[in-house]
Amino acid sequence: MLEPVMFTGGLYKHDLIVELVEDLGGYILQKNVTQSEIILLILVPSEDKDALEALAKELRAELVRAPLAGTETAVVTPTLAIHHLPHTACDIAEYLRRHGSKTNMIGLARGVGREIAQINEYETALINEHDAAVFIYGNFQDCIKHKEKLYQNISIPVVVTGGPQIEAKELPYAFDYVPSIGRVAHRAKKATEIGTLDRIVESVGRALDKTRASIAKDPLTTSPPRVMDAVREQVPDVEFSYSPLPIALNLTGVRVKLPYSRYKEEVAAVKFDEGVRLGEIASIRPSQMKEYILVRILPSSETGFVF
Amino acid sequence: MDPMEVFKIEVTGEEEFGAKKYRELIMDILQDLGLIRSIGRLYVYVDIKKPFFSVYGLLRSGIPPLTAKDVGDVMKVQGGYQIKINDEEHMADLLRVLWERYGRERVDQPARDVLIIASDSSPADITVADLEAEFLQDLTDALVRIAPEGFRNRRNEMTKDSFLFIAAEEQLTQEIVSEIKEKIREMENA
Repeated sequence: MLEPVMFTGGLYKHDLIVELVEDLGGYILQKNVTQSEIILLILVPSEDKDALEALAKELRAELVRAPLAGTETAVVTPTLAIHHLPHTACDIAEYLRRHGSKTNMIGLARGVGREIAQINEYETALINEHDAAVFIYGNFQDCIKHKEKLYQNISIPVVVTGGPQIEAKELPYAFDYVPSIGRVAHRAKKATEIGTLDRIVESVGRALDKTRASIAKDPLTTSPPRVMDAVREQVPDVEFSYSPLPIALNLTGVRVKLPYSRYKEEVAAVKFDEGVRLGEIASIRPSQMKEYILVRILPSSETGFVF
Repeated sequence: MDPMEVFKIEVTGEEEFGAKKYRELIMDILQDLGLIRSIGRLYVYVDIKKPFFSVYGLLRSGIPPLTAKDVGDVMKVQGGYQIKINDEEHMADLLRVLWERYGRERVDQPARDVLIIASDSSPADITVADLEAEFLQDLTDALVRIAPEGFRNRRNEMTKDSFLFIAAEEQLTQEIVSEIKEKIREMENA
């Protein structure tokens, strides 16, 4: 079992951590260097976490559990206008990021209003590429219930946030409803507001656990971090991608940030030690996001083996 | 404590939370834009089922136009007048009106904050900026920000001492407008 953790410490000697993680059979998911500081998102085998903790302590660094690491969350607002940004949407996105998730902010083209709100097929497909979505709504109960139509066709778990108290059962299409964070015009800084952000993180965490549990019933042929490692090694051009995170991890696969038309064969040809190629154990298709490559690992019931 | 004398907000249906939050939101936005001191009374009426959003406000006494002597110290010097600028924010406006009045060749700027005008008539009372027009512009901006997004059919009636702003999703009909006016009159008299 791999445990997601976040390492925050000095740049000096951080390569010792990288080496240790590789020796233990873990993975470095993300590396962020900010001047002399470094933040690493790491997956480490849970039985060896103590060794990593001991080394982090020696380096005077901080090692915390990052329950959302290795997942991608969509933070969806009705539009990208001043009414929703920067306060609510950015606060939620940043808070999810602090817990290890990779968040994408999505503003719908026509999500505004009550009667006129709509979502199109492309937006639905784009949101469905994530592992969970957070829909940010406002302060009026009636509107929150009415605007259920925006997410009822979305197949990933949706956490809805809004101002008033509403029973979760009144929103049957949502995975969960988190109240007391409706439309606000100031930054979240009070203890109660931070508490609400914690509740969103907890709720997204539960949604992801539910997805993980359903994947466990029919496990994937291989794990996404392993695919990430293999692609990084065998498709060297990925390091030249301008994205801060050239390979984004999902629960069921990865998104490789290279143009689909030029690199699809190269990604499909990635070979594992066991002799299989990525194209045989995963579906490789164009992502809705830019022209990226979306790799979805097939479950063992389709390929007949797990490695 | 509210800086306004009266601030009432009414939302139809069971939306007490929405009403409370909108109160905070309106305060935040008016404070951000520095408008809160200029508004004396504010009445907000929202019907979320129809849906529409309306704000009626009474403004505090008008703001006088900004003159050259508000921007800097005007002194008589040899060969004309000198203005020593204290508030650089309106420098560009001041230069523009001085050029218009005296012509470019008669306005000299020997230092960043000093202007010398070669003329016998004092520039002290020349109007630099119409702050009231600026204020009304800021107020409209604030109202558009406050109204829920997507309420794109708007009506804005502004007079010297009051404003009525209505925003709705559907076309604004005469019935809706008179219903809102009626309701606001009731709130005022309550």
